Amino acid sequence: MLTVAQERQRYWQQSSWLESSKTLRSSLLQTPDSSGEAQAFAEDSTNDVTSTPPAGVSYVSTPVMEEDEVVDGDFYLLAKSYFDCREYRRAAHVLQDQTGKKATFLRCYALYLAGEKRKEEEMIELEGPLGKSDAVNREVASLERELSILRKNGIIDPFGLYLYGLVLIEKGNQNLARTVLMESVNSYPWNWSAWSELQSLCTTIEILNSLTLSNHWMKEFFLASAYQELRMHNESLTKYEHLQNTFSFSNYIRAQIAKAQYCLREFEQVEVIFEELLRNDPYRVEDVDMYSNVLYAKECFSALSYLAHRVFMTDKYRPESCCIIGNYYSLKGQHEKSVLYFRRALKLNKNYLSAWTLMGHEYVEMKNTPAAIDAYRRAVDINPRDYRAWYGLGQAYEMMGMPFYALHYFKKSVFLQSNDSRLWIAMAQCYETDQLHMLEEAIKCYRRAASCNDREAIALHQLAKLHAELGRSEEAALYYKKDLERMEAEEREGPNMVEALLFLAQHCREQKRFEEAEVYCTRLLDYTGPEKETAKSMLRGMRTAESSFPLMDIEHFHP
Amino acid sequence: MAAASAFAITPHKVSVCVLLQMYALPTQATPPFSSVSQHNRLGLYILSLTKSYDDILEPKLEDLISQLREIGGSLGPWLIDHLTSRVSSLSSPDDLFTFFSEMRGILGGSDSVVIEDNQVILDPNSILGMFLRRCVLAFNVLSFEGVCHLLTNIGIYCKEVLSNCMPYELHRLDGSSNDLESLSECENMDLENFVFGKVNEEIEERKEATERVSFHLHATQAICGLVEDVEVVTDPRSKHHDKGTEDCPHVHRPGTESQDVDPYGEVFLRTNWQVQGYLTEQADAIEKHGGSVSFNTFELILRQIKKLAPELHRVHYLHYLNSLYHDDYFAAVENLHCYFDYSAGIEGFDFVPPSGSNNSARYEIALLCLGMMHFYFGHPKQALLVLTEAVRISQVQSNDSCLAYTLAAICNLSSEIGSSITAGILGTSYSPVTSMGSSVSVAQQLFVLLKESLKRAESLKLKRLVASNHLAMAKFDLMHVQRPLLSFGPKASMRLKTCPVNVCKELRLCSHLISEFASETSTVATDGAFSTAWLKNLTKPMGSLVLTQENESGENFHALQFCAQSSSIPRSVLQILGSSYLLRASAWETYGSAPLARINALVYATCFTDSSSSSDTALVHAKLIQHLAAFQGYKEAFSALKVAEERFLSVSRSVLLVLKLQLLHERALHRAHLKLAQQVCDELGVLASSVMGVDMELKREASLRHARTLLAAKQFSEAAAVAHSLFCMCYKFNMQVENATILLLLAEIHKKSGNAVLGLPYALASLSFCQSFNLDLLKASATLTLAELWLSLGSNHAKRALTLIHGALPMILGHGGLELRARARIAESKCYLSDPSYSDFLCGFIFSLVFEDSEVVLDPLRQASDELQVLEYHELAAEGFYLMAIIFDKLGKLEEREEAAASFKKHVMALENPQDEDPLLNLL
Repeated sequence: MLTVAQERQRYWQQSSWLESSKTLRSSLLQTPDSSGEAQAFAEDSTNDVTSTPPAGVSYVSTPVMEEDEVVDGDFYLLAKSYFDCREYRRAAHVLQDQTGKKATFLRCYALYLAGEKRKEEEMIELEGPLGKSDAVNREVASLERELSILRKNGIIDPFGLYLYGLVLIEKGNQNLARTVLMESVNSYPWNWSAWSELQSLCTTIEILNSLTLSNHWMKEFFLASAYQELRMHNESLTKYEHLQNTFSFSNYIRAQIAKAQYCLREFEQVEVIFEELLRNDPYRVEDVDMYSNVLYAKECFSALSYLAHRVFMTDKYRPESCCIIGNYYSLKGQHEKSVLYFRRALKLNKNYLSAWTLMGHEYVEMKNTPAAIDAYRRAVDINPRDYRAWYGLGQAYEMMGMPFYALHYFKKSVFLQSNDSRLWIAMAQCYETDQLHMLEEAIKCYRRAASCNDREAIALHQLAKLHAELGRSEEAALYYKKDLERMEAEEREGPNMVEALLFLAQHCREQKRFEEAEVYCTRLLDYTGPEKETAKSMLRGMRTAESSFPLMDIEHFHP
Repeated sequence: MAAASAFAITPHKVSVCVLLQMYALPTQATPPFSSVSQHNRLGLYILSLTKSYDDILEPKLEDLISQLREIGGSLGPWLIDHLTSRVSSLSSPDDLFTFFSEMRGILGGSDSVVIEDNQVILDPNSILGMFLRRCVLAFNVLSFEGVCHLLTNIGIYCKEVLSNCMPYELHRLDGSSNDLESLSECENMDLENFVFGKVNEEIEERKEATERVSFHLHATQAICGLVEDVEVVTDPRSKHHDKGTEDCPHVHRPGTESQDVDPYGEVFLRTNWQVQGYLTEQADAIEKHGGSVSFNTFELILRQIKKLAPELHRVHYLHYLNSLYHDDYFAAVENLHCYFDYSAGIEGFDFVPPSGSNNSARYEIALLCLGMMHFYFGHPKQALLVLTEAVRISQVQSNDSCLAYTLAAICNLSSEIGSSITAGILGTSYSPVTSMGSSVSVAQQLFVLLKESLKRAESLKLKRLVASNHLAMAKFDLMHVQRPLLSFGPKASMRLKTCPVNVCKELRLCSHLISEFASETSTVATDGAFSTAWLKNLTKPMGSLVLTQENESGENFHALQFCAQSSSIPRSVLQILGSSYLLRASAWETYGSAPLARINALVYATCFTDSSSSSDTALVHAKLIQHLAAFQGYKEAFSALKVAEERFLSVSRSVLLVLKLQLLHERALHRAHLKLAQQVCDELGVLASSVMGVDMELKREASLRHARTLLAAKQFSEAAAVAHSLFCMCYKFNMQVENATILLLLAEIHKKSGNAVLGLPYALASLSFCQSFNLDLLKASATLTLAELWLSLGSNHAKRALTLIHGALPMILGHGGLELRARARIAESKCYLSDPSYSDFLCGFIFSLVFEDSEVVLDPLRQASDELQVLEYHELAAEGFYLMAIIFDKLGKLEEREEAAASFKKHVMALENPQDEDPLLNLL
């Protein structure tokens, strides 16, 4: 299980490996994007504190951190070197008697990371018969004590506060953690790690709004990211677009925009953004799995294989890379291999949500429903707001012929993503099955689907069909007409078109609107198949009826 | 790896191994076992340690020590000493290696081992031998890191006992556990308030539930155990605590806090087998006690298990049960789905042999459970939809036993709720079993379903299911009127009847179960229960053990055998048997044999309460109390009710609540306290409203009582209207048996309103209903009403009335309650009085009439007025005294006349000014 802290550690290490010569503070200044470019951007902006703020971004003056290196310079540098070599305990030991704020922070942080490292190791060592037992970071308790005293005495710097926040989160004291992290980011806004910890504590929009954050452009980044996490994609998108005006070369912002677009299902846009991103930053692995999903959805075999090859060469032991390769095999139809790679991704990060979901999809393809259900359920347990996994669960149960049972899951997914027509259609189909045959409910669902931009236009057609089945020809005609209009607008042809035309023709004839009926019938003549013949005979019938109409009247009055 | 890792070696297991070594190699011990029984006792203790499932966590060394002190007797200190020194001497990985190779030597079977004199050869295939082998194997597959961990843990395990004062770090609680702790404290605070002022029994029950958080209890016990060895300053209260007399088992003591949860103290889950056993036990307890098991306490334990063993999905099922019985719909649905998503319906226990060879997923069980859940929450439509799906999937998966159970569930559903939902659901084209047309009534569909289900269960040899199907059949026979299945329409003969013989037959068939269950007991399950019981017993006679050191072992063996015997019949079997007695009681109630009904209820209450659910037990109590009210008056009944209410506090209040309302209503009517009657009646109506699903019985009861209240208020037409609509409802839902009562009520209404002629047909109809449905007691009372009607038509019908009454008297006097008997007697004497042949006696002042003749009239009157006074039935009592006064007047017995007249006056006064002060009401 790779925790947030773990990831953080990884980033930390990466950056420290990359630029071990840099000072601690500057390497702490990570943006969510650890690539060099983002780093450069961050540094630019920090070095630029005195320059005028960019238009439209509110900001406060940067607090200048006082330097106390003079006092503990040598010890500190030694400790930092140890730290960079990932000898955390050694680093902490060196700093044992140092009292400077920076030294204290480094010592505590080194201890924390040492505890994390040990925790990770123990997790593997202690794997019990029924899953992993709960390993804890053993440094947390003493760190908490020390940091809380420091905070009480007011001799703690923003980094110390950040660490205190981490410790508090680990201890489950979320409220205090939020306050502490807020203090940290308010006094030193460029510590993105603190922001992202803070964001992980904002599980609802109410909590987010209750935060008192001083105005700074980092706040905008934070809000944009928090909105995204809270599934407020449009708000997040506007924020990012706004930020992009200022930071126009930031790959991070571009990637985040792509993420938001992806969630809004604007695949074309995502593809464009990623093509550009990968041109600028060819060794990027982060977020690229999303790109691979888009390529998968669009069935771009060669592009996906090229991407898979590239990330494989860059870093094969990243969950993202494994996912991309899994996607590639899935598109190839080699589901066993694809499952293998998703498994590898999960081994690298057990809480890698999309890998669980995608693995579920693969198992569904392989008709191994129990395994699929298990995978989906794990995804749902990691993030109960993952509507895809709920949808997958529903689908799996529906496949097994348990529509009523599946409804529970569809309801869940629809609740989370109520403007996705596919979910509504799936639910409607569930109601429509022979076993349930709850047509009224199905109609309701289709109606919802039709009202939220149903791309494949299944809903209208189904609505028409169901109404026809229930003998409500007026409604059926209405929906067939709508469907017809839509097909005309999108210039689609197909059996649905024929069906709509045929129904409308018959309906109009029954309603004695012969002219309309004739129009539909003539349109039907353009198609081949039995419908053409039906249309012909209908036309013939109507013409004879029209010509014999007066005749019949006369006959009627005769006797 | 998977097989080996299912059994992890822990410090506790190392201790058990040490004990085993002491057991097997007594010669090594300097003071050998003084007697065989002492030796055996140690063996039994070790066995219990490996088998019992009273807790989820392995005991700490302190617990082990205090238990050893109890079982060891004189040897105790030595055992403890040896154990602690042996365990604490393990200080390097190499020590562990030598230790386990020594262990291998205890096992018999290998020739290389030199057998010493006194050595007990441990059979490698015995339970203890297997345990040892598993330990050795588990150690052998450990990686070096694993060995290091084991060593550290052993160090901590010993340190907790050996160190007198703990370092500051140890007192720190880590956050998550801290949360748990404070949560459970909150829970306990609630609990305390709740329990406050309730009877002891309730407290005991609560304690039983809370005792399962034994990681709290262990701490205090352990501390007390330590008092002798180590100078630990313990709170004096904790000694008091051990006696089990405190009112809250979770008093948070500062002195013991450190032991509750500490960050370094490793907690280990017991073996999978034991945890599963524990969970099963808990599931049983939840199902038995329903809502009375504390929700949060158990939830905390479950959360802990989940944390320690995330892959044990059974926990979700327990979560589901817990929330189900605490009426948390959403949590129940969520957890049920979660459980089946993870387990696919196949994760069960080690010891349940997989029925059927295919190991594929069994989602049909999920459907079955979901259906039952909807049923429980009163969503019959959803339940039926889900169960239909379950039938289909079971057929597809050819899971016959699940199909049989599903059918039984559907039967249950439609017999409980079926009559209130219109026939539409079962009758639709996608009906589960056969394509029965919608023209067939629900009852007939149910009959077909029952037959089908029974057949399936029999062919699959699911004995419990067969038995419960027989029960369902009996219930059906009891409540439903038989009609020929295939003839419909107006011309078909409408001969309605019920078959008591069938009911009896089904009940008897059900009882066969007890002779058949023997073949399907799972020995392993009883094994664990036995060990648990033994260990629990161990702690009970603590005081006496110390005093009588030699005899105690013998004593305990008796206790042990008793335990073993009591658990030898599976609980489920007992439960089914119990419900057959319950059904017998209600059958006799319906057929009108009060003594038999009472006896069956008593049998149930004495023999089956341990194994049955508390709601059933409450039902039996309700029946007995009802009986008490009818035969001994309200005072007795109310005091019994009070006891019952305290006992079943919050468990199944609804049964007792309804009963209470019924009794109050009855009494209010008798005392002519109409306002109260109306109020109570309204309350019943609220209960019957359809918030919790429609209970037809309750609905019928409520409107019946409404009609009776109206009748008592002399609003005849309204009463008749209510009764009519009730009749229509019962007719609509095919509740023919109930209709007899309603017809009788209608007759009563007409009688009271003075329209005896109109009443006659109703009485006759009711009579014929009773006759064909074998409702003997009701028939007697219908006859009585008929006689009263005749009587009110004029004195020339008195003779006919008297014959009718005499015909019904044996039944009434044998089985009727106080009221019915009194009514019959008064009616009888009225017949005598209005009979023209007796009118001479009245009008002609014939003093010469023999004394017995007047006694013929006076005796029943006297008895009736006695009984009515017990019931406080003022109206009828006044009538009785009035008649008595007249007769005494005629007989010239002035003194007695005055007395009767005074009583008459008293009752009339009471009738006219119903007093608000009621001593009995205060009792409740």
